[in-house]
Amino acid sequence: MMTIAVPETAVRAGLWQRLAFANKTDLVTRVLVVAITIALLFYILLPVYWMLKSSFQPNQEIRVLPPIWFPTEPTAQPYTNANRLIPMWRYVLNSLFVSVTAAGISTIIACSAAYVLARFRFPGATIILGLILLTNLIPAITRVFPIYFFIQDLGLLNSYAGLILAYVGFSLPFAVLMLRGYFESAAPPELEEAALIDGCGYFEAFWRVILPVCLPGIAAVAIFTFLNAWNDFLWASLLLNQGEMKTIQVGIGDFAQEGGGVQYVNAFMAACVVATVPALVVFVFVQRWLVGGLTAGSVKT
Amino acid sequence: MTRQKYLFCYLMVAPAMLITAALGIYPMLFSLWMSFVEYDLLRVNEFGTPFVGLDNYVEVFSDPRFVQTLFNTIIFTILAVAATLGFGLLLSQVLNINYRGRTALRMLVCVPWFVPPAVASAIWMWLLNTDRSPINFLLQDFGLITSNVRWLTDSATWGPFSIPMMSIVAVRVWNGLPFAVIFLLAALQSIPRSLYEAAEVDGASLLQKFWYVTLPMLRPVLAILITLLVIGGLGSFEINYIMTGGGPQNLTNIMAVYSYQQAFSFFRFDLASASSGVIFLMTGFISIFYLRSQLKGVA
Repeated sequence: MMTIAVPETAVRAGLWQRLAFANKTDLVTRVLVVAITIALLFYILLPVYWMLKSSFQPNQEIRVLPPIWFPTEPTAQPYTNANRLIPMWRYVLNSLFVSVTAAGISTIIACSAAYVLARFRFPGATIILGLILLTNLIPAITRVFPIYFFIQDLGLLNSYAGLILAYVGFSLPFAVLMLRGYFESAAPPELEEAALIDGCGYFEAFWRVILPVCLPGIAAVAIFTFLNAWNDFLWASLLLNQGEMKTIQVGIGDFAQEGGGVQYVNAFMAACVVATVPALVVFVFVQRWLVGGLTAGSVKT
Repeated sequence: MTRQKYLFCYLMVAPAMLITAALGIYPMLFSLWMSFVEYDLLRVNEFGTPFVGLDNYVEVFSDPRFVQTLFNTIIFTILAVAATLGFGLLLSQVLNINYRGRTALRMLVCVPWFVPPAVASAIWMWLLNTDRSPINFLLQDFGLITSNVRWLTDSATWGPFSIPMMSIVAVRVWNGLPFAVIFLLAALQSIPRSLYEAAEVDGASLLQKFWYVTLPMLRPVLAILITLLVIGGLGSFEINYIMTGGGPQNLTNIMAVYSYQQAFSFFRFDLASASSGVIFLMTGFISIFYLRSQLKGVA
């Protein structure tokens, strides 16, 4: 489906060499493209740099005007401060627990549905697929209020279970669609045909033959559903917004209630780094595997 | 045999269908129903939820704040989609050329993807702080401005445009750009090289190759990407809610935020549902067209 790897071409010239060999009109285009790219990189990286930089600055340095671009004495103090001001690590654990559980549940449910939707034709399959697509497309705000009342009626407001339930509902359509594409292309039908001939039942064929083969794709989907839940603010701000059980995305809002003064900004940015890093680490660690899992979905066998 | 097969299919699809129905379809329909009844949380115990027809829609549309919010949402979406597409097309081309350091560049461009919207809002609020924004100091050093730009609080307007609206769009684009780049990059890689080689033989310049080969080949993918971006823009919530709460003077308010505020600040779930009903209609309309093209090949 998506890919980051490109086939290598024989010549791997430097960008500047390419510029030098271009003809006149192309040279103007190329210089312009390079200039805009540099400007865009500044736009893309400045906020990330500013967050990191601020999170390592001591209290007195963050107040200096004009702002200091390169901290002279970086310190991890803001991180310990952040945890004094808000129960930061607790919030992170909350987020991890809720996101991992929701990702696990929705991936398992999505797997079974995606498999039959990819492989079999049965009455109603198109309608089911259409409804799932529709739910995936229409923005969440159009169903927030009834779900809020629903969770309230179940007595699950301000509980992990309520938020997990909401996340499963929110992530499932996306997971089904992505896995369906993956099953369609990554697992040749001959696989379970052979298993069926050998006397396996349908479920056994799915369980013993298809699932093991499709593990990379399933892992990729699980990671995406994890990221969905980890990044969420809307549902968490509604369903779990009190006390120590908050997720980190809602929890960093505590800083705004601390008066939002500049003296806390370094700690605030430290909390922001902490709220971003797990997602980034997951990505870096599984990147190759993830890309492999996703691209397998686009290669026709 | 077929009965056994169907049974297996329905059993496998049942949990997903149940959850989609209970937490997707049903709440959407319930929300629509709420927009046709009176649902004031402060009155609901006494008066219940009587049917009021289109009254809620009439009420929101006669609220100048809502009409402004509707226009804001459309402007916000158009600007964000246009900028994301423009930057995305350019960056995906640059990341598709083969040169040293490309992998590193790709990783760097992807970084904002993994910054959660709530965190993105927080970083940009700090980055755009009127008195302490490094951008203001840079602009002053270059002599481009004489007084600090009030990125998120300036209430001067030029038609539907204002500085806070532009700032919010910039944050939205920043957060959404990597997705568009990777999406387009995947599509670029499926364009056969032979097309470019043929164009080169004909002496086409870079721009001509982009215009006559790349763009036409990207058309189906662009259609999908634009649909997703427009739907996402119309339903966008977090960044506006966290960074400005819709202010100053309602200039950055968009429909999802308006809806949320009606519900959880004023407890008018009926007006909130009417407002989100407008989002539902707009995105639903677009989705139907999208679904028709997507489901063509299926069953």
